[in-house]
Amino acid sequence: MNTDTTATRGRSPCSLHQIGVMCGLAAGAWLGAAEAPTKLVTMGFSPFIISLGMVAGVFVARWTVPVALKGTAFVLMDLKEKPHLMVWAILAGMLWAVANTLTVFAIRDVGLSIAFPLWNTNSLVGLFWGWLLFNELRGSAAKDWSKVIGGAAAIVVGACLLAYATQHPTGTGPSHAMLGILAALGAGALWGTMYIPYRKAYISGMNPLSFVTVFTFGELGTTIALGAVFHGGLSNLWTELAKAQPAMFWLFLGGFCWVLGDLFQQYAAKHIGIGRGIPLSNTNQLWGLAWGALVFGELAGLGVDARFLVIGGSLVMIAGAVSISLAEAPASEQASWKKAMERECTRYHMDPARVAAVLRGEESPGNTPLKRPWWEIAIVLGALAIFIWLGLGATRQAIDVNLPWMLVLTSVSIVFLVVCGIILWRRTRFS
Amino acid sequence: MKDSILKSILTDLHFWVPVVVLIAGITLLFLLG
Repeated sequence: MNTDTTATRGRSPCSLHQIGVMCGLAAGAWLGAAEAPTKLVTMGFSPFIISLGMVAGVFVARWTVPVALKGTAFVLMDLKEKPHLMVWAILAGMLWAVANTLTVFAIRDVGLSIAFPLWNTNSLVGLFWGWLLFNELRGSAAKDWSKVIGGAAAIVVGACLLAYATQHPTGTGPSHAMLGILAALGAGALWGTMYIPYRKAYISGMNPLSFVTVFTFGELGTTIALGAVFHGGLSNLWTELAKAQPAMFWLFLGGFCWVLGDLFQQYAAKHIGIGRGIPLSNTNQLWGLAWGALVFGELAGLGVDARFLVIGGSLVMIAGAVSISLAEAPASEQASWKKAMERECTRYHMDPARVAAVLRGEESPGNTPLKRPWWEIAIVLGALAIFIWLGLGATRQAIDVNLPWMLVLTSVSIVFLVVCGIILWRRTRFS
Repeated sequence: MKDSILKSILTDLHFWVPVVVLIAGITLLFLLG
């Protein structure tokens, strides 16, 4: 499997571990940046509507980005080769949507400061499933275990400190506290379990771009179904959505940033596994905090103690990310990954040599370039037109932003996008 | 999808773990709602 440490075709000097780590960190930056546009949405809409608006933006972007990067013929060929994985992609989308809805109830009942650290345990759940079902960390030395588990735990602890330091009174009574805690833990369990389909797909050689194309159907379908249930029917849901149209551009923009972050998360899960990749991408809280504090001035009223907690929590989280980054899977662990891959090949009649080549970033379905039909341009232009149309109808939100910091954070996110994108392309051709 | 693949899916632990967790999540959601 990922037994190589250097580029095999002279495209990039980075190892797959280094690429996976970079993707995990880029995922954190973009998932964090996705929170920024949604902050521009003034209050007054139900959380379901905000979630649905964002998921609709995600749906548009999730069709467009794979088409732009690899083309529909590639995606369809990949899906045709591994049709069974469509079941897992849909399942993953459904798990995401239910978890996301649970967070609405968790925030309502116990507030974000308590709920966030609870559902942030999803990385530990993912780590457990990675070990149990996909042989991750098996065959590793004790120091590798401690780097990964210690790093993941540090990221969760850092998240707790940040959430505690930045907590705001929610005005909700304690009467529903237990249900709120259950909802937050449930969201963590669902998101952590969602990484089973991710890893399943990638050790079977599926391309992340193909996976997210199917994933988004499960995600959007379940979000619409849950929105309709909790709004008393589809017609009520559409009425509410229409009211939210002036804010829809910001939600779509948040959804678009989220897709970029999610794609990097998928590549991280592919190249370094869910045990290492997911905790790294969970550093998104650090980026969300940076946007909130530096651009929107959310921490202006914070006391000295709370500021120390924010700095401490951030440092603990960074230390956790560094620890995981240094825990490259040794040959003995990669041999365990290979066994998991071979088990999938046997069960679903796939060619192990071909799958192994895809996992090394050396081959993808139909290695020869596929012809791009004209209507792929129409799909990309159509998505662009939707964004422009929503942008023309968007209302300027009455919220102060620090422009210099906004430019700095945007620039850093774009640097992550460009550098990681180029390295991924040169080393793996986005395979 | 071929029957043999369908059978492989339905006897795969990797399928049932997410399904059970999903059902538990939906149940919890309706209890909360």
